[in-house]
Amino acid sequence: MSGIKSAAAAMLAVGVLASACGGGDKPIGGAQSKSPTQGGNTSTGAHKKGGTVTIANVAGQTWTCQFNPFNPAVNAEAIGFVYEPLVFVNVLKNGATTPVLAKSFQWSSNKESIVFTVRDGVKWSDGQAFSADDVAFTFNLMKKNPGLDLYSLWTGAGLQSVTASGDKVTFTFDKPAEPYFFNFANQVGIVPQHIWSTGEAAAKPTTWADPKPVGTGPYTVNTCSSNNIEYVANGNFWQPGKPYIQKVEYPAYLDNNPANLDLQSGKAQWGGQYIPNIQQFYTAKSPDNHYWFPPTANVAIVANVDPSRKITSNLKVRQAIAYALDREQVAKIGESGYQPAANQTGIVTPTFNKYFDSQALQESGYAKPNPGKAKQLLQSLGYSTSKPLKLNIITVTGFTDWDASLAVIKQQLKAVGINLTIQDMEGQSYDNKLYTGDYDLAYASQSGGPTPYYELRQLLYSKNTAPIGKQANSNYSRYQNPAVDKALNDYASADANQQVTLIKQIEAAMLKDVPIIPTTESVDWYQYNTKDLAGWPTESNPYAQPAPYNIPDVEQVLLGLYSKSAQ
Amino acid sequence: MRFLVRRLGFFVLTLWAAMTLNFLIPRLMPGSPEQALRDRFSKGGQIVTTDQLRRVLAEFGFDPGKNVGLQYLEYLKSMVTGHWGVSIGSSLGVPVTTLIGHALPWTLGLVGIATILAFALGTLIGMVAGWRRGGLIDGVVPPVFVVTSALPYFWVALLLISLFAIGSHPLLPNDFNYDQGLHPGFNGPFIGSVIKHGILPAGTILITAVGGGILTMRNNMITTLAEDYVRMARAKGIPNRKIMVGYAARNAFLPNLSGFAMSLGFVIAGTILVEYVFNYPGLGYMFYNATVSTDYPLLQALFLLVTLAVLICVLLCDFAVFLLDPRARAKG
Repeated sequence: MSGIKSAAAAMLAVGVLASACGGGDKPIGGAQSKSPTQGGNTSTGAHKKGGTVTIANVAGQTWTCQFNPFNPAVNAEAIGFVYEPLVFVNVLKNGATTPVLAKSFQWSSNKESIVFTVRDGVKWSDGQAFSADDVAFTFNLMKKNPGLDLYSLWTGAGLQSVTASGDKVTFTFDKPAEPYFFNFANQVGIVPQHIWSTGEAAAKPTTWADPKPVGTGPYTVNTCSSNNIEYVANGNFWQPGKPYIQKVEYPAYLDNNPANLDLQSGKAQWGGQYIPNIQQFYTAKSPDNHYWFPPTANVAIVANVDPSRKITSNLKVRQAIAYALDREQVAKIGESGYQPAANQTGIVTPTFNKYFDSQALQESGYAKPNPGKAKQLLQSLGYSTSKPLKLNIITVTGFTDWDASLAVIKQQLKAVGINLTIQDMEGQSYDNKLYTGDYDLAYASQSGGPTPYYELRQLLYSKNTAPIGKQANSNYSRYQNPAVDKALNDYASADANQQVTLIKQIEAAMLKDVPIIPTTESVDWYQYNTKDLAGWPTESNPYAQPAPYNIPDVEQVLLGLYSKSAQ
Repeated sequence: MRFLVRRLGFFVLTLWAAMTLNFLIPRLMPGSPEQALRDRFSKGGQIVTTDQLRRVLAEFGFDPGKNVGLQYLEYLKSMVTGHWGVSIGSSLGVPVTTLIGHALPWTLGLVGIATILAFALGTLIGMVAGWRRGGLIDGVVPPVFVVTSALPYFWVALLLISLFAIGSHPLLPNDFNYDQGLHPGFNGPFIGSVIKHGILPAGTILITAVGGGILTMRNNMITTLAEDYVRMARAKGIPNRKIMVGYAARNAFLPNLSGFAMSLGFVIAGTILVEYVFNYPGLGYMFYNATVSTDYPLLQALFLLVTLAVLICVLLCDFAVFLLDPRARAKG
């Protein structure tokens, strides 16, 4: 019953799905305004208000009824519902932007400063007026209290100052900062100065519970108990006529089973769940039940390439594994086809086709499984099916889909002369080994971002690694390559075309050095019921990442939804 | 008097030893709070460095860089003064006392009632079985319950779920403490829902716990029935029922009572497996959650509660024996 949680459900990442840039969305680099009603979604005309949506997304615990948007344990229940960012960045549309609290923004030519023009006529849910001062206050509060600065904007991104003047807010950095736009414009919820500058909120902003949050977002918290949060429409919301849905119920599910049952019966209409055998369990139960799993980042075999690891630091071994894998089979059997096969360039397709160098992949020989080549490489090292190479791979206990994938991989490697031992470990022990480099191979996944840069930087940037024995940030394979570092450094100030070229250089390094061997593409889990509700994000209209755990995307979906019976 | 003082001294010493272990054990677990937080956090696709999470946790009062000796002294002080701090795990920032306050009633209600019921039933059945040794009840009931008491909790739980809670219209809910959407309060639907949600978990505890009580009670009954005063009572022509309850059971019951005191102490710990299988948001479930998210303050407070509950129950039991049994007084 309890406890068997899928890897996929636990290690979710920023989802990304390529699609034509529609609805007048502009890429990150671009700038100007557009009216709110033209928002990210392409719904036609206004709808009548009414209806309720119930979310089924396992939290694994009861609600704490805290809504502090800076508290990483609860911000997914606050941002998007109550608090809003400056701009929404749609990772499913190559980072297209939709203005939220800022109606426009303009980068300086060297991308070291940016000016936001805030929207006028916006009110906080307590009736007070929102202004540029609130924005400057929010970011300066993060400077004063480093515990609030989740994305290390002041310490890592080089933020120097945030000042407000009239309806303009100016951010200055000490280096090109475009890659951090996703964080500071899209993921930080703006808080009201008049609330956060007094009382406990001012004294201890990091630990303040914020039980009755005052925001600019489409909803306010009506009631909250440990079992359920009920949001109701914010009467002061700045988009006229919105939100259409008047009530959002967010029950606390401790386990997948009841959440999946509620989705199946339609009691909950919006799911972010891993459902085994979804056709039979979910879609076959009602013609109104639908799902869509947009691919996000990579799930990969991470090799420890530190020289102290004699076997996995040998390029030929890693090449042999990459050649031996039949990724389609891993996706089909191990992941039941929910996750598509990945490729050796590390670019998630079709999501980032714009960056994908398929020619280089074809030429490298990794496009199709090639067990013959793998055998040959292993033979040159003195291994064969009769005298196999012994290797260990660590994975997390309870990630049942990963276990299934690894069973397939084990068979495939056995055929070429590698005897793979799968070590299922409790989550924290696994993390310890992975972070400190105490492993040969690890099955792992990271989060993505609005372009492949974000994931590749985590995986391959030398500043994200650490010597064996010390905790690495995200580059667990201990891969270091000055050329890759340079490409990642140059990316921040490059224009859109140059960025594609730089990413392709990194792909070349992935093909040449094989530090990571991607197997499948992790996805955004998303189920939706269309009996009464319409306006959902779909494959043909990916106006936001669809799963309810994505912030701040959840706001866009809530604004897109409407009740059919209320019309 | 010396007996009482010695018992109290022993109580304090055990409490200190247990509290020291409670401090050490969570810190010897693999992983760290910032790692656990990072794992949870990555769910929304947010990339936050471990350093940053360490800063966040420092604000919530967790500073791993501090001298362990100092941490230990502060821990002892905070445990004694009741300043248990805030959670640094999945309920980041919520005072530990609030969390426990929410979970404790559910565990006391569910596990407490089930334990008392199991004790009462066990004693009653054991008494009857012992009285009619070799009869139908004695031949069937004790063996059956000896078998069920040997079954693991979670297995019985899964069995009950597959019998009563599977299908499109399950008879009973197998999850949570009451129906979502109901507003807690003193009203019919809410109370009904609480009872409905409690039947399966309570049934699981009952089935597995009742066996021990039956067996001890039955055996004690048989021994007591052979005593001279029971024969005397029979010879005097006292009615059977009165002999069974007033003469035999009253004495046979004493050893069972101390066992019951012990098991009451363990009620606080909840039955982790039962609460976990049924997703019942009591202390046992909280224990599991706190362990998974390496939540030191919460774990420490929970450990303290369990330690205290068991020790106090044992102490009370000692005092009860002291009062009831002249031999204990003589030895002391």
